[in-house]
Amino acid sequence: MTVYVREAHPTDEWQMKSNVKDDVCYAQPKTLAQRVAIANDFTKRFKFPLPFGIDDMSNAANDAYAAWPERIYIIDESGRIAYRGGMGPFNYKPEEAREWLAARYGAVKHDAPKSPADEAPPRPRPAAPAK
Amino acid sequence: MNRFWRWVAGILGVLFLAAFAVLSFIAGSPKDAYGMVRYALPHMHRGTLKVGSDAPDARIVALDGVSRFHIRERTHERPLVLVFGSFT
Repeated sequence: MTVYVREAHPTDEWQMKSNVKDDVCYAQPKTLAQRVAIANDFTKRFKFPLPFGIDDMSNAANDAYAAWPERIYIIDESGRIAYRGGMGPFNYKPEEAREWLAARYGAVKHDAPKSPADEAPPRPRPAAPAK
Repeated sequence: MNRFWRWVAGILGVLFLAAFAVLSFIAGSPKDAYGMVRYALPHMHRGTLKVGSDAPDARIVALDGVSRFHIRERTHERPLVLVFGSFT
């Protein structure tokens, strides 16, 4: 399950050139409605197929899991932390989590998905105003 | 004494500039170094969770913006991979 937490590089904080290049420019949400809107933009743009949730404005999930800016955990069947990934971006290693899962539960028999950025359709832009 | 403090201030200044230069190199530019210090570092925490800890629960909002569910509702019988992140 993917959990959307506060933005890492919003336009009103530390925006990066890559955000402009990739046309991913959002201000830091101040309301839950804004967070929900960005999360929906994300899932629609990438046709995101996995279960998805949004951390609420109290940032409870983020605080509980020290999740920002990105992080992976695996919770086992007994409800305990079985794998704790490193803090992103430098120690965010999905391949490590994949290997952990393969070692514990068996290898998955499909190719790793391509990077979403490789498959993302361009964002629709508003039509030019009529002259 | 004045000379001593001038040396201390000079050394601290050089160390500060060196640290900022290294950070700028890591982050990509002086502007990014500022952004990292001002906006990223205050929010980055290693956390206290360890392997074997009880997974904390938290209420999560569904994509419809209305429904809510708890993380622990999704942890029955099967392992759950939690991926935290944002769009930007």
